Amino acid sequence: MNKTAAIRAIIGATETRPIVFTPGSASAIAQDLADLPNHFYLNGPLGLASSVGIGVAMETERTTVVVDGDGSLLMNPVGMLTAGTLTSLRLIHIVLDDGVYAFTGGESIPSRRADLCALARAAGYRRVFSTAKLDEFAALLRSQLMSCTTPVFIRCALIGGDYATTERMTADLENHARRFYRHISDPVWLARAA
Amino acid sequence: MTALVKAGDVAKELCRELIAADFGPYFGTPCRTLNPLHAALHGQVGILTVAREENAIGIASGTSLAGRCPVVLMENAGIGQCVNAISALVVPYRIPMLLVVGLTSEPTQVRLTGSLLENLGIASAELDPAEPLGVQVEELSTIVQRRLQPAALLVPPAAFAEG
Repeated sequence: MNKTAAIRAIIGATETRPIVFTPGSASAIAQDLADLPNHFYLNGPLGLASSVGIGVAMETERTTVVVDGDGSLLMNPVGMLTAGTLTSLRLIHIVLDDGVYAFTGGESIPSRRADLCALARAAGYRRVFSTAKLDEFAALLRSQLMSCTTPVFIRCALIGGDYATTERMTADLENHARRFYRHISDPVWLARAA
Repeated sequence: MTALVKAGDVAKELCRELIAADFGPYFGTPCRTLNPLHAALHGQVGILTVAREENAIGIASGTSLAGRCPVVLMENAGIGQCVNAISALVVPYRIPMLLVVGLTSEPTQVRLTGSLLENLGIASAELDPAEPLGVQVEELSTIVQRRLQPAALLVPPAAFAEG
């Protein structure tokens, strides 16, 4: 699967639950595929997507999805270490692992010998998965979304290129934050997502 | 009454005022100056200790996006480490939160802290233990909870020292 296919599967499976997208191509692709009010696109900094997702999951007590990259995870693994200590946090932390910093031109990520799943287990995640198959990933994500009671880590090994996306970050970040707030604080949604 | 509070009780009084003003949840990183406040919050409402300042800002941002008014405790050295998180997340997305920054006695870091906050566009005030803490917290609450902007409270090194 490539990054676009993985993100399409995530958006489809997650439905109205909050999704925090790491800066760069993940945010740009998601915005291109379907710009929905449960999406929070980070414009920066690299490495904080899981931390923002932790805060959303803590406060809403609803399953929250983080779409991270291998580069952003390695830029700052403290979010992963924090999630690992919060054993009842309903967080699904997906790492799209393509081995390159796609958005800045494809520099290689210094992670060839790093085992991200082993890092997640060492950080305290009890449910850790790795997959390279799109169908398997989509089914895994749907089942974890239905049963999430503790932080889940899913590594998606990506292969193949993506269609070109333009840099589509909204200029009005304040309104983007307000849109996300309105969605996750909506009592109707909170009751339905309980 | 607050002006007569002994120095050792300032941290507990500030803790009570922050809670009364509906600030929370609380996130903290290690800071010698703020340790008494950290302990008071831990005993009252709980505080999540985070290993790195910019991650504390990130988690606080998530809770703020969900409608809370989080507080992040850090020492002044942490502000430098948070420049990216504040300038690329807190300020442009206008995410309200209160930073409580413990000052050290190292003059370069103190000078840098004020300069960084000013250049980041974060309103800041220095805690005065001799003045009513409720009034000082109320002023910060106006910025964070009514104007929906981030703000910082700077705590001098001896503010929470035992009298």
